[in-house]
Amino acid sequence: MRDVLALILSGGGGERMGVLCAERAVSALPFGGKYRVIDFVLSNCAHSGVNQVAVLAQHAPASLNDHIGAGRAWDLDRRAGGVVILQPYQTRSHAGWYRGTADAIAQNWDWIEERRPARVLVLSGDHVVRMDYRPLVAAHIEREAAVTVAVTPVAASEARRFGMVHVERDGRIRSIEEKPTRTDAALANMGIYLFETERLADLLRARPVDLVLDVLRPQVAAGERVFAHEFAGYWEDVGTVASYYRSNLELVGPGSRLALHDARWPILTRDEERSPVWLGEHARVEESLVANGCRIEGRVSRSILFPGVTVGPRAVVAESVVMADSRLEDDAVVEHAILDKYVRVGAGARVGEGPAADVADLAWLAGLALVGKDTWVAEGGRVLRPSSMGVGGRYEDLEGGVLAAGTVLPNRRWYEELR
Amino acid sequence: MSGRYAFILAGGLGSRLCLLSERRAKPAVPFGGKYRIIDFTLSNCVNSGIYDVGVLTQYRPTSLNQHIGIGRPWDLDRTRGGIQLLQPAPGMTASDWYRGTADAIYQNVLHLKRRRAEEVLILSGDHVYHMDYNVLYAFHRRNRASLTVAVTEVPERDVNQFGILETEASGRVVAFREKPRGPIDSRLASMGVYLFDRQSLIRWLVEDAADAGSAHDFGKDLLPRLVARGEAVYAYRFAGYWQDVGTLDSYYRSNLEFVQPRPPLDLDDPDWIVHTRTADRPPVRIEAGARVTGSLLANGCHVRGEVVNSVLFPGVVVERGAVVRDSILMHDSRVGEAATLDRAVVDKEVRIGRGASVGEGDDLTPNRACPEHLSSGLVVIGKRAVLPEGLRVGRNARIGASVAEEDFTAPVPAGGVVDGPESMH
Repeated sequence: MRDVLALILSGGGGERMGVLCAERAVSALPFGGKYRVIDFVLSNCAHSGVNQVAVLAQHAPASLNDHIGAGRAWDLDRRAGGVVILQPYQTRSHAGWYRGTADAIAQNWDWIEERRPARVLVLSGDHVVRMDYRPLVAAHIEREAAVTVAVTPVAASEARRFGMVHVERDGRIRSIEEKPTRTDAALANMGIYLFETERLADLLRARPVDLVLDVLRPQVAAGERVFAHEFAGYWEDVGTVASYYRSNLELVGPGSRLALHDARWPILTRDEERSPVWLGEHARVEESLVANGCRIEGRVSRSILFPGVTVGPRAVVAESVVMADSRLEDDAVVEHAILDKYVRVGAGARVGEGPAADVADLAWLAGLALVGKDTWVAEGGRVLRPSSMGVGGRYEDLEGGVLAAGTVLPNRRWYEELR
Repeated sequence: MSGRYAFILAGGLGSRLCLLSERRAKPAVPFGGKYRIIDFTLSNCVNSGIYDVGVLTQYRPTSLNQHIGIGRPWDLDRTRGGIQLLQPAPGMTASDWYRGTADAIYQNVLHLKRRRAEEVLILSGDHVYHMDYNVLYAFHRRNRASLTVAVTEVPERDVNQFGILETEASGRVVAFREKPRGPIDSRLASMGVYLFDRQSLIRWLVEDAADAGSAHDFGKDLLPRLVARGEAVYAYRFAGYWQDVGTLDSYYRSNLEFVQPRPPLDLDDPDWIVHTRTADRPPVRIEAGARVTGSLLANGCHVRGEVVNSVLFPGVVVERGAVVRDSILMHDSRVGEAATLDRAVVDKEVRIGRGASVGEGDDLTPNRACPEHLSSGLVVIGKRAVLPEGLRVGRNARIGASVAEEDFTAPVPAGGVVDGPESMH
């Protein structure tokens, strides 16, 4: 695996994630009680022996820079290889945002070529997946493929979300349909590609923008040696509120398909030092994941609590994702909600109350209450759902102490807090 | 580099900790749900801005070496300064093993000569406390002391377990008695935290090394001698929490103090983080039907049964129907279905078989092998022991490390002892 260089595409701005991605890339979203989404792919690289990794970031790159740092958590702080973050840059003759996935790679081609990898593995930082890349590389070499595409079986009803791949008996890809409404293909493109470096260099000379539309599909159409490699394990693109919420809550169920606790394939992350979880005498916690640093005196069920969450006496968290250092004061209730970091829910306040109203143009909220970072829902406040409070929300935002269903509040600018 | 240097004495046997320190030095004994005892002292150093530390080990250093490594969790993996493990080596001086605490420093005096520090901080790796050593330095300099000893007030009944100092109003020490017997007015105990003027320390160590009648121990020899001859020795009174987890009972008690709503130390203080080596473990997982109250649980724990007033270190598994009450379970131990634990101290990687009952009955017969340390009703189980299905274990029992299922031929009575092949008792 020493001659494989991994490029992790993490440019996604999370347009469909609303306030959760106001200040972070999708890859930097907290997931599973203590991880960030990109931890899965970085851990896969580390465990698969891929030690040269570049993360192509564009949207809110600070969130990724802070998390990845020098790559210590993944033992990627190396003298030879290691992990770097490649952001759009300026030179005297050139300046440009990444226009698309292929363009992002092309803009960094000098850097990639200097590393002289025989093959380039293109990954997405937005996927939750535990995958060993070694079988994929082995199959690619054995078939003398120009490109190998990882594919996974999906239900027919899901096909319209994916690029569906038609595969010959020998594994060769016959065609790819983008988000078809109807198809007999059962395998979806996972967004994981292995290229022969020389071939990729040739293809990028035409200045393609999108890797699938401008590179992959023309290659398939031209009858090049493009092969599929099937992967049957857990794989989830968490780029929507619904998929993010669902895949988090799946972790607390008895038959969770994603094993976080596998000593042979641990998910590595940049861990802060926090004390063990403390549960008070009257705490009641069931079907939940609770990370170090949490202090719980109330009730928690079917929820994910990130480090440092405080659940006060008689407070209730149900069916929710609560990110680091958020705090529920006495008697507060949070249900069917996603709370970002540093949210404060005052005494007796209720977030995500009652059944979700049917609001046509807010389907993307999946019926949940989203609460942005640093928001303070004051004592006795009520937040109905679906709704979304922007970063830094305050009591004035609630009319008569209530945020009506169907409301989406904008983010506050940081300096507004300095008034 | 701040020009400060600290030695941490980490050679302690901890013989009163029974099985817990059988195979590890006392500073390496797990504490507080995820830490090792030495983490508190190491974190005090870095939180006080001391990034140049030598750790003196002698007794069973493997677990300490593994824990400390190159000091990464404490940001002590540094280009300048950092952490050094100082083990005794043959040929360094006439005596090879460290003969006492003062001798341990004496044998490493070279490390001092290479450093610019004007003072030398000497600490013990055996204690649980938060202390900003900057305050101690300021006190030391203000008094122009040659030696400052940090002291804490202890209950009268405990004075015979510590070095006790008598002081003038100015803080100057006028008498020092190691583990005094008989009546004594003072209740100020030495915390094993010494700040020495460097030149004086070197002179005194050389002098002590040449003294054939000395046991080369700070508490027994050096301190009483310096005080007696009127050196500038001062006592710095520390008012915060300080715990010498010396016995199995105090170990048990002080761990469970951290389960209280207001623990004696704030382990979540962002300005005074206690760093430790942590393996990557998923968050605590609590399943439907589980019941966990009044407890500490570290990442990696998985609970399907009931846990009450207990401390669970990383990776502990409690199966359905099992009940863990008033107990301490270290890393990766597993409690089988419907098993019961009551007042048990369980070392790492222990397996408790299905339906076993550990710590039952009212019989408080002291332990047959170590009645002096095991008589309050605790059951202690050594590392990697395997308890068979349905086994019954009475109170004050001791089950040795690596005891296998076939080593049990009958229920273990109160005060009973089951030793395995590797037992060192």
